[in-house]
Amino acid sequence: MSSTLTTNKVEEFVSHIAENNLAVWSELPSIRKSGLEALKNLSFPTTKDEYWKYSRTTKITKNQYKFNSIDSANINLDEVRVAGLDTYEIVMVNGFLNIELSTLPKNDSITIKSFEECTTEELTAYFSQNLDTITNFFSALNTAYFSEGIMVIAKGVCDKPVHLIHYSEGEGVISQPRNLFVTEKNSELSIIKSSINKNTNNFFYNSVNEFFIGENSHINYYVIQNYEAGMNVMSTNVATQEKNSTFSAFSYTLKGDWIRNNTNVFVKGEHCESNLYGAYQPTGKEHIDNHTIMDHLMPNCESNEHYKGTVGDKATGVFNGKVFVRKDAQKINAFQSNNNILLSDDATMNSKPELEIYADDVKCSHGSTSGQLDEEAVFYLQSRGLSKESATALLISAFLGEVVEKIKIPELKEKVLEIYGME
Amino acid sequence: MISIKNLHATIEGKNILNGINLEVKAGEVHAIMGPNGSGKSTLSAVLAGNEDYEITEGSVDFMGEDLLEFSTEERARMGIFLAFQYPIEIPGVSNMNFLRTAINETRESKGEEPIAAKEFLAMVKEKSALVELDNSLLKRYVNEGFSGGEKKRNEIFQMAMLEPKLSILDETDSGLDIDALKIVSHGVNTLKTKDNATVVITHYQRLLDHIVPDFVHVLYKGKIVKSGGKELALELEEKGYDWIKEEINA
Repeated sequence: MSSTLTTNKVEEFVSHIAENNLAVWSELPSIRKSGLEALKNLSFPTTKDEYWKYSRTTKITKNQYKFNSIDSANINLDEVRVAGLDTYEIVMVNGFLNIELSTLPKNDSITIKSFEECTTEELTAYFSQNLDTITNFFSALNTAYFSEGIMVIAKGVCDKPVHLIHYSEGEGVISQPRNLFVTEKNSELSIIKSSINKNTNNFFYNSVNEFFIGENSHINYYVIQNYEAGMNVMSTNVATQEKNSTFSAFSYTLKGDWIRNNTNVFVKGEHCESNLYGAYQPTGKEHIDNHTIMDHLMPNCESNEHYKGTVGDKATGVFNGKVFVRKDAQKINAFQSNNNILLSDDATMNSKPELEIYADDVKCSHGSTSGQLDEEAVFYLQSRGLSKESATALLISAFLGEVVEKIKIPELKEKVLEIYGME
Repeated sequence: MISIKNLHATIEGKNILNGINLEVKAGEVHAIMGPNGSGKSTLSAVLAGNEDYEITEGSVDFMGEDLLEFSTEERARMGIFLAFQYPIEIPGVSNMNFLRTAINETRESKGEEPIAAKEFLAMVKEKSALVELDNSLLKRYVNEGFSGGEKKRNEIFQMAMLEPKLSILDETDSGLDIDALKIVSHGVNTLKTKDNATVVITHYQRLLDHIVPDFVHVLYKGKIVKSGGKELALELEEKGYDWIKEEINA
């Protein structure tokens, strides 16, 4: 698959990143090893690969990047803070953990620590457990050269949500944060992931978050993507569920030049619930891609997936949702839908729901719609005195609002509604 | 209030209105009747500014302004209200939110302050009672899952909230049972003042027992072919439209 030429290109791309002195401590080489090994055999993804068909990554791989840990003195986090909500803030600056700006609690319900503080056993138990580093170039790259990371361990019902804030700044910079979230038996954790970027140009953000949801425990994971120009974002999230657990991921993409989100859930216990919700609204020439895998390996589980988007101007939206129901996973209820509104003739939406079922006693449905704004509804609203712009905005809010309404933290819901302009 | 002169309109190259002349003064109620396909709904759509139709000839003067120069929302803000024959369902948009936006954009266009929350709520309470619209419906999404009667009552409720100068009721009676018809009519009659006017478009005389018109016009093949007092409606009810068609075609 990889010719000498492409291998050389990969080597060259990696060599610039490898020049940096990333954190070294005794256990690291073995953890990075699988990524380093995989990179030797990988070439850059192309649109000939089904997984990358609609998202060209050459705009990322044609450039060179370096790590750059910057001074954090002038960083202001207020814009992403949620009014009225107390959280544990974990701040990563260009992919590096910033201890001064972060709170690392170690109490009865939650422990947050840097990888350096983790034991080898803790790291090897979870690191790359369900991450595809063999075929996914960017996951391998993160594994080989992640900048830094934290491990969050919930041991009970956490008193506050964890707010993970990624700050990015600079030109030709790569940021590769890597985080592990573990909920032990009977625990509950909410995570909010926000981003701030200032003066970015040709910035490549390639993050991997892994979630291990233990028996009878629950994770709610909220991602808000509201990027200014100059960022290419690759965000990979992998969740593994034990029995009686719930994993819910909520993704709200407001702005971003180029974003690819991979969210993969592996359900390895019975009586689990998994929810994946997403809203996106690319405009201009933005490219927003959501790829999900919902893998049911055990019986008696339920999954719900709903992604909605509006695509305007010359923007592109991509949705690919794959649901697997494995041979022994009987009595599965799996629902998936993707609805889109195209706001201009030049907008593109590629939507591909996929279902692979190997069990015979399951209830699954999937569907995808792409249409235009209801012109009759616009006229109706105008006939009551609303301008065309506010009629359109109201209808878009109503359309995307269904997914925003899923947010379980009222203060956060308020914040997301506000950034969407839904009041 | 409104003066329509020689109005011609087409849709997809097909002539629908072929020279409408109509004069409505403040304080008056006009009924426009006519067989199916005569152009009744087109007339209301054109007056509301539906861009699907092309005006090929004629003029409409509304309170001294050239109405056809204005967009749909501008006409609404000037005081034109169309009660839809088939009100649109808008999932995700709450009735209250929609109405508050409508009122505030109208106020803003006139350089007025937005309506205070308390004033708005008091108004909602008063006007919804007028058409016996349940409070729970107000909080629901616009027309979504409403019965036919509830949708029509919601139209009149919106009319009450927006306080238009000229209300055009397009087949508001269609699909209403007698109780709903009485409620809707009561609402319309209560809202009537010497300063506003109502145009009632209907196929049946039944509605006109409750909303009594000052003038009745018969629309046929895109033209007003006969006008008279309220007794014309009774005559039409009794004899149907054939005698008019014969008169015209003769």
